[in-house]
Amino acid sequence: MDNTASITADTGWQAELELGFAPRPGRTALVHRRQRGPLAVQRPFYPEGEACHLYLLHPPGGVVGGDTLNIQAEAASGSHALVTTPGATKFYLSAGDMAYQTQSLRIQDNASLEWLPQENIFFPGAISQLKTRIELAEGARFIGWETQCLGRPVIGESFDSGLADFQLQIARDGQPLLLDRLTLTPERLNGAAGLRGLPVSATLVATPASQADLEQVRELIADAPSTGATLLGDLLVLRYLGDSTEQCRKLFIQAWAAIRPSIIDRAPCPPRIWST
Amino acid sequence: MSGQADTALLRLLQLCSGTLPIGGFTYSQGIEWAVECGWIKDQATLTEWLTDLVDTSLAQVEIPVLARQYRACEQADVDALGYWSDWLMASRESRELRDEEGNRGRALASLLVDLELPKAAEWRDTLSGCQSAGFALAAQRWAIPLPQAAQGLAWTWLENLTLAGVKLIPLGQTAGQRVLHALSDTASLAVQRGLVIRDEDMGASCPALAIASSRHETQYTRLFRS
Repeated sequence: MDNTASITADTGWQAELELGFAPRPGRTALVHRRQRGPLAVQRPFYPEGEACHLYLLHPPGGVVGGDTLNIQAEAASGSHALVTTPGATKFYLSAGDMAYQTQSLRIQDNASLEWLPQENIFFPGAISQLKTRIELAEGARFIGWETQCLGRPVIGESFDSGLADFQLQIARDGQPLLLDRLTLTPERLNGAAGLRGLPVSATLVATPASQADLEQVRELIADAPSTGATLLGDLLVLRYLGDSTEQCRKLFIQAWAAIRPSIIDRAPCPPRIWST
Repeated sequence: MSGQADTALLRLLQLCSGTLPIGGFTYSQGIEWAVECGWIKDQATLTEWLTDLVDTSLAQVEIPVLARQYRACEQADVDALGYWSDWLMASRESRELRDEEGNRGRALASLLVDLELPKAAEWRDTLSGCQSAGFALAAQRWAIPLPQAAQGLAWTWLENLTLAGVKLIPLGQTAGQRVLHALSDTASLAVQRGLVIRDEDMGASCPALAIASSRHETQYTRLFRS
């Protein structure tokens, strides 16, 4: 598909997906699934035993202005799920309307959720708002990441028009832990304290994390330019700023593999789709 | 009437003064690492860095939070005051920036208790959450109108960071004055915008600042605490 793939939509997709994970004997089951519109999941699979791995499928034709995607997932106490996507999600040139994607993730006490989608790509002219809300109960375990790619740096195409509003909100028992928001216009792409003209920005978060987790991640990124890791209470935040989704993905997978044993209490078992 | 107004101006100057014992001059908010890695290297790049912060963080986080906390003080609503302190803290991108916020908040709260500002002792825990809570209470109690208080907060923040830049790059004092002078209009506009922004438009993160500040946490030699 090329960057002129514009679809004018008076009424775009109103897509919804609800997922509920709960423990069943020997494994975590997808006990609740409700979908409307072109958001779907593949059949869950179990490459590492008990944990439920699930591929989330975004609208095959990408997302355009006027589309609204609502994704909700809840991990019940005692469950463990890993959700990823088989490819990038593409947000195309808009004729004027905004495209919305809202993800609400709830993780209960003693539940583990790994939310590890591949990158979002914003074609020039895309107008989008992406909101991710993560609500943790005390004792919840979570690793998640988000990668935003503005334009397509691999073909030298920049995000020279459009709008993006990225919001990441994490709370525990109603108390805000992290409120991240990046509002971008083409002029803002060059913000000296912001993106510095770099098209790819990404954040990995993990909790409950320790100082030892932080130090492991810091060792991994020691020589990677424009990266930083910090520990906010027991929330580890790793940030990447650069021009390559590939480089970012490699780095984040390494960080995930390094901290998974202590955060989720499991050895890394990378979904096969990541290596394709 | 004018006597009271004049006192309010002097109180604002006191609240924004470098002599206020909250350690403002010990924080660079990531500038120390940005200088180390070459993101900030002269007057122009320092001005660009600060301009970006003014347009994002100042306009969409600091000023709107101050406005909400000032109104909370008018209504003696300590829950709202605390809510916005928590909100501000969650918007800070690194452990070091959060430590700074807490340190400044505690220092200012303790000063206001010392000055016997009404409510300061009773609300001490909440005021300790972040500097802007104490700043809001002092401004409101000292009859400093909100727009002036907001400009004062913007000024003192900008002055501190400019000073940090001058020391770290290093630049001459005159270059520092040029930076401040050049940023005044931008800052003033950002304050105006920040005072009227709606809740749903609040929030700003600055990835390069977040990375600079995270890296500063382990920077080998450093003069500043953030």
